[in-house]
Amino acid sequence: MDAVEKANAARQQQWIKDRKVGEGTYAVVYQGREATTGRKVAVKKIKVGQFKDGLDMSAIREVKYLRELKHQNVIELLDVFSSKTNLNLVLEFLDSDLEVIIKDRTLVFLPADIKSWMAMTFRGLEFCHRNWILHRDLKPNNLLIASDGQLKIADFGLARDFADPGYKMTCQVITRWYRPPELLFGCRYYSTAVDIWSVGCIFAELMLRIPYLPGESDMDQLKTIFRALGTPTEDDWPGHAKLPDYVPVGQFPKPPLRDLFTAASADTLNLLSKCLVYEPRKRITAKDALSHAYFFALPYPSHPSKLPKCSTVMNKPLDEIDANVEVASDPGAKATSKSLKRKLASPTEAKARSIARRLDFSKAPPSSP
Amino acid sequence: MTSRVGGWLQGKTIKKAGANSSNHTRSSTPQQVQSTSTTVFGGGVKDASGRVTEYFSMDDQCPVCKSDRYLNPKLRLLVSSCYHKMCESCIDRLFTLGPAPCPICNKILRKLAFTPQTFEDLGVEKEVAVRRRIAKEFNKRRDDFPDLRSYNDYLEEVEDITFNLINEINVPETEARINRYRAENAILIELNIQREEAYAQQLREQEDAERREREFRAQELRREEEEEREEREKGKREIIDKLETSSKDAAKVVAKSRAIALKRTQARFASASQLTSSSKLLRSRAAQSTNIPDVPHVPLQDNYYAYEDRFVMRPGGYNDFLSEAVRKDREGIMRGGGYMVEEAWERALRSSVAALDLPPLSGLPQSPSQLDQGGDVIMAS
Repeated sequence: MDAVEKANAARQQQWIKDRKVGEGTYAVVYQGREATTGRKVAVKKIKVGQFKDGLDMSAIREVKYLRELKHQNVIELLDVFSSKTNLNLVLEFLDSDLEVIIKDRTLVFLPADIKSWMAMTFRGLEFCHRNWILHRDLKPNNLLIASDGQLKIADFGLARDFADPGYKMTCQVITRWYRPPELLFGCRYYSTAVDIWSVGCIFAELMLRIPYLPGESDMDQLKTIFRALGTPTEDDWPGHAKLPDYVPVGQFPKPPLRDLFTAASADTLNLLSKCLVYEPRKRITAKDALSHAYFFALPYPSHPSKLPKCSTVMNKPLDEIDANVEVASDPGAKATSKSLKRKLASPTEAKARSIARRLDFSKAPPSSP
Repeated sequence: MTSRVGGWLQGKTIKKAGANSSNHTRSSTPQQVQSTSTTVFGGGVKDASGRVTEYFSMDDQCPVCKSDRYLNPKLRLLVSSCYHKMCESCIDRLFTLGPAPCPICNKILRKLAFTPQTFEDLGVEKEVAVRRRIAKEFNKRRDDFPDLRSYNDYLEEVEDITFNLINEINVPETEARINRYRAENAILIELNIQREEAYAQQLREQEDAERREREFRAQELRREEEEEREEREKGKREIIDKLETSSKDAAKVVAKSRAIALKRTQARFASASQLTSSSKLLRSRAAQSTNIPDVPHVPLQDNYYAYEDRFVMRPGGYNDFLSEAVRKDREGIMRGGGYMVEEAWERALRSSVAALDLPPLSGLPQSPSQLDQGGDVIMAS
């Protein structure tokens, strides 16, 4: 046994798997605990052997980015080890997710509760963006809730670092209902604004208790967005007609948000509208959103420990650790994210990513995709 | 069943017909177990409300007479003090004439020592009984000990005794140990029992007070509704009377009496809201111990942006060829998608100066390879 194997075995012994809580195409999730402290963890075992291409792309992304991020509102990757031919990720154990809470009709949300969740989401997202990482799959299902009420962003299976010059990015990301219009128009160069759009959709969903923009297909998604927010003009969104997959969808007038969100305060609607601005450059950033008047107005955001919690014990708590693990309650949204992942595994981007990017601009690029 | 001392025949025997109404040991589950015996069997594991929920299964079979639920739908199995099951008719048959040996293990049993079964596993049944018995006497608390160590030792001993009794290891010796303990700690045991009782009493009183308050509130509400109804009736009668007698304009009379009625309702509402708010206060006080106040919003909880940037971007931008394609198309696809080449430059610059504020590692031997790595700046993602 060489030194690496020995170190791996030592790590493996630190974690004990207790019971299986979910299984999908790419991974099996177990509930487990730390051997020394008894702390509850989730062990995600990624099946490696059966794929020709080797390791699943989303697993690589997850390890790559979660290893770098440590923040109160981002799920913590505690350890990585291999067992036989499998890769095991040890993640923080979290009991429920925002989707379950939104769907639980017995819970009542106060404006202060929504404010608290939004603040935690923006804080986690700001931390990702600050570290040059796009999440690219924000939805209630991926915002997990810890037992003390803290919200944590999870599932970095579609994440990517951004702000590298010249690389095209795929537009087939983000679950459709939360996908911004620029991605629907096939944009290959985008920025942090895509995540903000998703947060805006989640914000609206928290108030409505149903998905805000539920499109049935990519085309229908655009129509749904324009019906809700009006068709953008060249003034609203300069350059959108030049995007690769641009198609005119039809002219819809812009109804005031107030018509749908009758009980929301002016600050709330102002922040929501700033998250759902068509032009990505004018969309609010996570950092600016955190300084928005909405968060400072009364009522104060609820203390995390007082936020509504799911009354029923979830039997499949780890489904949301990764959308790959399939025990979904929402077949539509789930199917989308799965098909996205399959597409992602192949395209050119994967090749480009494997080459280390250098900072020095004076040298020739290693290869151009 | 407290008076078992007098002998097995002193157990209450009642007529079959009246058995169910006065019997507390019957389970309240839908699958109620019906007794066919004339004897009331006490004991068993009681829940918080003092009831015994009996274990019931369609596959029950008496191990003695092999009768099962198919042959005898009223089959009820009871557990002996040696933890063997048998049906009521077997018990009646075997033990009515006095103590007799158990048909399975030959231990001498008495009829009144049979208890209803609560758990499917008789091992659990036994463990619960043993633990109950032990807890009654080994009732010392943490504050009866000078330090945690001795308390833990005590708990360890209790667990040891319990384990021995459950698994029937050294039973005579263990019993002797219990007797010794009982003799040594008689006063303390008594004291702790009293303390438990006082605590239970306190809980009961608290519950009573809450119940009384709820009843009072409900009564108050009913009374108010009644008053309101009466007042409305009276108001209507008054209007009609006035319209009959006075010569004033009818509309004015109606409006005036309406205004008076409104004033009255408002007054009532004010007093009612006072009442509800006081009860609300009461409820919130109960939850106050767990209540954490909300704090004003703090945008970011670290001081990441407190540091000054150690770089300045060149106003005209940079002419790097990596981003040439994107820069050429500034107003095209790049504009629509929100991509900004400035972000790429900022990231590059920020990453390159990020470590400048960190003090160098000290106390480590400088190896040439480390120096080598330092020279080659790799973008951190």
